[in-house]
Amino acid sequence: MSGFWRSHRAWMAPTLFILPGALLFGIVIIMASIQTIWVSFFDWDGVGAMQWVGLANYAQLFDDPQFYVSLRNNLIWLGLFMLAPPLGLALALLLNQPIRGMRVMKSLFFVPLVLASVTVGVVFTWVYDPSFGLLSLLFGYFGATAPALLSDEHFVTFAVVVAALWPQVAFCLVLFLAGLNNLSEDLIGAGRVDGARGWPMLWHVVLPQLREVSFIALAVTVIGALRSFDMVAVMTSGGPFGSSTVLAYQMYEQSIFSYRFGYGAAIATVLFVIMAAFIAWYLRTLLKPERESA
Amino acid sequence: MTSVEIHDVQKHYGGFHALKDINLSIEEGEFVVMVGPSGCGKSTLLKTIAGLETVTSGKMRISGRDVTRLEPGDRGIAMVFQSYALYPHMTVRENMGFGLRMAKRPKAEIDAAVTRAANILRLEEQLEKRPKQLSGGQRQRVAIGRAITRSPDVFLFDEPLSNLDAALRTQMRVELSTLHAELGATMIYVTHDQVEAMTMASRIVVLNRGRIEQVGAPLELYNNPANLFVAGFLGAPRMNFVAGKVVETSGRSARVACAGGHGVTFDELAEPATRGDTVTIGIRPEKLRIDGAGSDFKFAGQVRLTEYLGRETIVYVDAGDLVTTGSDSGTGVFTVQIGDIRPFQTAASVSIGFDAREAYLFTAEGRTISSPKPVASL
Repeated sequence: MSGFWRSHRAWMAPTLFILPGALLFGIVIIMASIQTIWVSFFDWDGVGAMQWVGLANYAQLFDDPQFYVSLRNNLIWLGLFMLAPPLGLALALLLNQPIRGMRVMKSLFFVPLVLASVTVGVVFTWVYDPSFGLLSLLFGYFGATAPALLSDEHFVTFAVVVAALWPQVAFCLVLFLAGLNNLSEDLIGAGRVDGARGWPMLWHVVLPQLREVSFIALAVTVIGALRSFDMVAVMTSGGPFGSSTVLAYQMYEQSIFSYRFGYGAAIATVLFVIMAAFIAWYLRTLLKPERESA
Repeated sequence: MTSVEIHDVQKHYGGFHALKDINLSIEEGEFVVMVGPSGCGKSTLLKTIAGLETVTSGKMRISGRDVTRLEPGDRGIAMVFQSYALYPHMTVRENMGFGLRMAKRPKAEIDAAVTRAANILRLEEQLEKRPKQLSGGQRQRVAIGRAITRSPDVFLFDEPLSNLDAALRTQMRVELSTLHAELGATMIYVTHDQVEAMTMASRIVVLNRGRIEQVGAPLELYNNPANLFVAGFLGAPRMNFVAGKVVETSGRSARVACAGGHGVTFDELAEPATRGDTVTIGIRPEKLRIDGAGSDFKFAGQVRLTEYLGRETIVYVDAGDLVTTGSDSGTGVFTVQIGDIRPFQTAASVSIGFDAREAYLFTAEGRTISSPKPVASL
């Protein structure tokens, strides 16, 4: 036994360590994904018999105006979420000063990360409340009436995204602060000796050193925008009149409330394809410099 | 013309006084090496000259301009860092041209400067590579090239060779000296390696605890250290120090007695000694003779250890009551350096000695009071 272990340790040990994770991933992610794609070809209420309908779910989906609302809202989420990395970086640069009391400031900025996103959603629902919310107080201060953001089909998605941006910016801020801690002091010094300051310093000397961190921030932000669901559920339930739904929420709504698991699975599959395309691009870009430097 | 002038510079980090009363004037074309133990402030002083650190008080002038409050990029300096500090995402060409690019020089001028630097440093083949693809020595040359392209008034080097292996270090040392001769520019070089200091410097600045201990030509400092610190810092193996007491004085002469009933008379002291003063005698290992007969100061001892270094022999001798202080080995034994190879048995008895005119005498505060030694003129 011991002789067998000794001679096969090199491959057995890593295999044993990877096995639990691989099993979990295989069942929860791979199997579930394949099953989802399979279910999307059926008409199914989640309880009764499944009836094969081929691509009918997809045909219906691409004719469904609600799908395009969700898709458009997802694009809005994605677009506005792209503000999170630069905002996080700007705040990180601001907070990364050797000033007394900066630690307290930093911890204040971390607060939204500690809150469950459901909590953030509820808090912002109150902020937006036209009768007693912070927003109405602010508007009232100037003698104006606050718009009912969450009941206005034109503003609602933007209002939800702003709420969701708060923790997302904080997350990017944490990533960039960690990255700024690892900047090479000598490189900054070399940049200063070479006469770089302000924007050129940031662009040519600091940002290249934050490349890895920026990629992580970008990926987490894109994925966060695409899978956004909880804020929509808590703040609007997709309303008013389905104007704030996103793909993930529509999928949930169709499957759980309307008992249309086949249709929900089709939405999930489309979302999956969008995510897969992004992740493939991301991994390619991320792995390329790693291969070069290896 | 004076290239760098430093007037009464002080630097505090909170409660820590890092640089104390620094005054230094460096002529154009000089190669000044700043040495000292870790934490002595040599790197801090270099960074304040570069402008990477601000001074608490005092003034700095480079080529006649007051640069005390100027940014590093505006001081007319270039710096080579110990870690090379090359921009990892830029090619060698971009690295070397970055300073000129920041100064918004025309592209043709940048290209010409980079090509010239690459020629001097034999980097023509590497121009399109990134720092990661280069060896340590090549990276160091790129860092030097980046400094050259800016054609600065003053080159600053912060321990540039300490990340290189021994062979490469010797090679780069020679290259840097050659480069200095070629460019004729002022260079200020920080190191903790006294071989680098002795071989490259036109003048050495010895720093200790934020203070300049002595400034002078390498041989001048070696032969006539101003104090006990400089005497102990320069020279390997280290000078032997023996505690003593002034027992008799007459004019500029003083007789010093040591433990074990030994004594020696110093003549022509630079300043008079007083009877009863505690003093320290210093004698370099190469000035100790193994056959001590006929010396002014002779004593007997036992061989503890012998090191054969190929062309010289180092013998550690235990002289009983007569102990040395602050030696490299951390023990009280004497270090004797012999210019050839001779066998010694461990525990063998030897007689060693030295002449008073080869030795140094330091006051209790560490000031040198023995008469100055002649220095070979180069």
